[in-house]
Amino acid sequence: MIDVLPETELGDQLRRRAIALFGRSLHIRTVDTGSCAACESELRLLAAPHYDLHRLGFFFTPAPRHADLLMVTGPAVRAADNALLKAYDATPDPKAVIAVGACALGGVYTEDALLHGAVDRVLPVDVYIPGCPPSPIALLQGLLVAVGRLEDRVAGLSLDLDTRRSHATPRSQ
Amino acid sequence: MASWFLRGLRRGVVTTRYPKTIDPWTRDLPAAPAFHAHRLTTALADRLAEQCPAGALAREEAELVVDLGRCTGCGRCVDLGGGAVVNSGAFLLATSNRAALIKRVPIGGSDD
Repeated sequence: MIDVLPETELGDQLRRRAIALFGRSLHIRTVDTGSCAACESELRLLAAPHYDLHRLGFFFTPAPRHADLLMVTGPAVRAADNALLKAYDATPDPKAVIAVGACALGGVYTEDALLHGAVDRVLPVDVYIPGCPPSPIALLQGLLVAVGRLEDRVAGLSLDLDTRRSHATPRSQ
Repeated sequence: MASWFLRGLRRGVVTTRYPKTIDPWTRDLPAAPAFHAHRLTTALADRLAEQCPAGALAREEAELVVDLGRCTGCGRCVDLGGGAVVNSGAFLLATSNRAALIKRVPIGGSDD
């Protein structure tokens, strides 16, 4: 795995800035590392008229050499290592990787002899999209987060409904 | 100027924006759980962690640790939680920070 840019914070910032420059023309290659195909069926719907990702400047391409971004699904089975790393190496720099779905994020399957259990154990991942499968709108949000056109708001999300309510109501002194 | 752009303007077709509104039915999609912390007990938290098929729930001391990245939205914790656990409806969760997907909920109830 060869990275042209150094793995420093500045290098990382520079790489993110370069990805943001793709802004309105970004080509996507999907890579399946053993998914059940539910993620693929949602990815496919991005190109359907309802979501129509082309109007936002995103395009699917069948060749990693034409791609700017890899969307990787599945729990990173070891049998797919070769194909995954070849696709990553063939993608020209600067490039980004999105891990799509619960399996790719480490859910459901744990690491064992057959699989790595999460995509970020094999490749550097830029954006994580949770969901089983993530809905097309969630995928679209993930793409826009990846190119810096939408903010990611996950850090501010609280799963505790009790404190969420007390924050919402104004405190008396 | 590109003719498709002018054609779009004439017909009033929005061609470039992120969806103006999120479809209302998306709120009903299976999503990660949210919790009423004061109704959570350590015993319930342990049971929830044990039955989570995706390994998204774990108890650490007096906190329930929820990994939104691992959650498949299967709803088993909602069934088991008896009102303490509900569907959060949160599904726009894309982030570049994996650690931000790991949420901690304080266990507010006592076992007795």
